[in-house]
Amino acid sequence: MSLEKITNPLNVRHWMGHMEAEYRYTLGLAGERFFKEIKENGRIMGAKCPRCGIIFVPPRLYCERCFARLEEWVDVGKCGEIYTYTIATIDVDGKKLEKPQIYALIKFEGAYGGLIHRICEADNVYIGMKVEAVFKPPNERKASINDIAYFKPVE
Amino acid sequence: MSVKIKHFPGEEIETRDFREGRVLFESFRPKARYAWSAGIAISRFLEELKNGRILASTCSKCGRIMVPPRIYCEKCFKPTDGWTYVKDTGVINTFSVSFIASDASRLKEPIVVAVIELDGASEGMGIVHLIDEYGDWRELKIGMRVQAVWKPPEERTGAITDIKYFKPVRE
Repeated sequence: MSLEKITNPLNVRHWMGHMEAEYRYTLGLAGERFFKEIKENGRIMGAKCPRCGIIFVPPRLYCERCFARLEEWVDVGKCGEIYTYTIATIDVDGKKLEKPQIYALIKFEGAYGGLIHRICEADNVYIGMKVEAVFKPPNERKASINDIAYFKPVE
Repeated sequence: MSVKIKHFPGEEIETRDFREGRVLFESFRPKARYAWSAGIAISRFLEELKNGRILASTCSKCGRIMVPPRIYCEKCFKPTDGWTYVKDTGVINTFSVSFIASDASRLKEPIVVAVIELDGASEGMGIVHLIDEYGDWRELKIGMRVQAVWKPPEERTGAITDIKYFKPVRE
């Protein structure tokens, strides 16, 4: 072992350690209701500002423009439009996917914001494409964004 | 928390709410493993203790012999460019007599810790170690000559404790 050129700290005298940094991230009141609506009612909800009239999707508790508390909830429907997209050919570990996967930011009509999700059953993809949420069966839903299985093009 | 404020705005949740599934949440445990290395100079220094030798590094510009060794000369801002051994004898630079152990319990016999300037190293260079076999602690003095007492070679692990302590040298 040469001590003059060390590129790996494990090659010299060393001590191992592990930093505990476990955390919990709560969804908050608005996030909680949003996912419960998806799970229980199969609908995508937005929160509407009484002053600005903006509908936030995903919903939040306060309007980021006028700080009003958002009490009014509206169903924004299952259909949206692709605002932007990307086609992944590798997974999070960098391994090649068997089949490329389309991910898109989907905006809903009249709403501010959008959801990022998978696009399936699509032969092609383009900005402005109309897509529709495909929900999992109610008994498989877990109050998660994956309760929406994917979005597919609207015929 | 201010005494005047009894309730902060917002929703309070308790550990129980997580356990009983009353709130939606994500939990994550990052893999935050690390290795802290002693570096080039100290690693060599520790290795050499196994051989019963005290390693120093030298700088050709200022001519200092530095112990514990380092790979940069803090005076000249250049890499040190040599290695040498210093003796395991030296002089007490400063010391402390403690009647309290590391767990804060009282001690009958004190622990003596000293900074020892080693022979062969530049002035003011040395290591911190224990002093023992000193007889009466009241007779300890700055400037006293001391010598390292090593563990037997087969018990050495490449740690500073391979030197058990330093003991005064009667002249």
